[in-house]
Amino acid sequence: MRRMRNQLTIAAVSFVLGLLVVTQLRAQASGSGLGGMSSQDLTVFVANLNAGIDQRRQEIAALERDLATLAANQDRGVVSLGQVRDELSSIRAYAGLAAVVGPGVTVSVAGPIDGPTLEDLINELRGAGAEAIAIGGIRIVAGSAVTGGPGDVEVEDSPLDDTFEVSAIGGAETLTGSLTRSGGIVAQVAATSPDVSLTVTPVERLELPATKRNLVPEHGSPRL
Amino acid sequence: MAGTGLRAWAGHRIRSIPSWQITLGLALLGLGFLIAAQLATERPRIRYTTQERAPLIETAIDLQESQATLSAQVLQLRDQILALEQQGQGTNAAIRELNDELEDARLAAGLIPLRGTGVVFQLEDSVEPAGAVENERDYLVTARDLRTMVEELWLAGAEAIAINGERVVPTTSIIDIGGLILANSAYLSPPYQISAIGSEDLYEQVVSSPGFADLVRARQDAYGIRIGYLEPEQVDIPAFAGTVTLRNARPAPSEAPAAGDGG
Repeated sequence: MRRMRNQLTIAAVSFVLGLLVVTQLRAQASGSGLGGMSSQDLTVFVANLNAGIDQRRQEIAALERDLATLAANQDRGVVSLGQVRDELSSIRAYAGLAAVVGPGVTVSVAGPIDGPTLEDLINELRGAGAEAIAIGGIRIVAGSAVTGGPGDVEVEDSPLDDTFEVSAIGGAETLTGSLTRSGGIVAQVAATSPDVSLTVTPVERLELPATKRNLVPEHGSPRL
Repeated sequence: MAGTGLRAWAGHRIRSIPSWQITLGLALLGLGFLIAAQLATERPRIRYTTQERAPLIETAIDLQESQATLSAQVLQLRDQILALEQQGQGTNAAIRELNDELEDARLAAGLIPLRGTGVVFQLEDSVEPAGAVENERDYLVTARDLRTMVEELWLAGAEAIAINGERVVPTTSIIDIGGLILANSAYLSPPYQISAIGSEDLYEQVVSSPGFADLVRARQDAYGIRIGYLEPEQVDIPAFAGTVTLRNARPAPSEAPAAGDGG
């Protein structure tokens, strides 16, 4: 009788142990912290992932076309200068090395905005799909820094006036919607910095300049 | 004699413990360890229990895997194109020149992985308990913390930056969704490692900046966010695996290339 009770005790403890091992392994495997998200946040996360996947699929389709053309040209023993120039032009536009045109929005900033808030605005524009951004006529690229306290903001070491414009090329409707949505950056700034005003205007055609920075790295080498 | 006595005592004790007690003891030890591990895994994120979350979580996990596969495919195709371009340039000087320009443009756009001197900063959630009236989220690393770190690195002269392997490019947004941080629409799992290539004194440049001192004061000193760093001999920064295809922007007319073919 006593032996049976001991065996039952071990069985019960082993069962709980097994259950916990499985739970722990699943938590480690997903490793994603998704368990801490609300349904609403998860929905936003899934929408973000879907957008990222769509973009990557389009990129893959474009790259496959380029690859097929390159391979076909090589088989024929020719190189298309036009194709290389188009690709160069497109990558230079993306990187900020070339001036670009397109639809988008301008955000007129008035009042003593600070660097971190302006950085939040840039981040919001990028999140909404902005393809090119300029502040006060300075193209924002990888490496551009926005600094300074209220009313004392600098972009790439150039001080900004009391009022200036942030211009962004992208889907004008999407950009406007993202900035002006309830709880978006315009509302946040209105709540936290009442002296600062952000006015968003959709624009049919913007022209943004090229950066003046040298973006080719000196301390890093290609790792091919 | 004393030794003989001790062995006899020990032998007697071991024989007197039934094997089931040892098994049970070990199982309970494992149980305790797992309960502690489970609690540690859950802390400090808030947990929700609604049923509709399970399919959403599964969808998110599947989509993350798809995104990672597609990113790898993008990088592979770019490598194949680069290899073909280099093969095809032959002795044509014009093509060589264009390909050199193309490589510079790709370097500027973050499409080529880099290796060089630099620094790796690591940001981790606080392990300090939040007070009763405090917001638990203040004790977690936020997207703004990462953006501040990136900004300070650019200011200190960094040439290329990646966060947990996601290259920071002109279109990179770093955002909070719930308790998660996304960069280039990819989920970043803590701890957050911000790798940067730059001059050999990049670390000194960063830590001596007022902006970094503000970050340490506001996040490490106030909430226990852990900020560490490494200075490996070489820092590796991967290529950007997202899209560089512009849908709305196009080169300004003055920048448009002349069309032409050569053989």
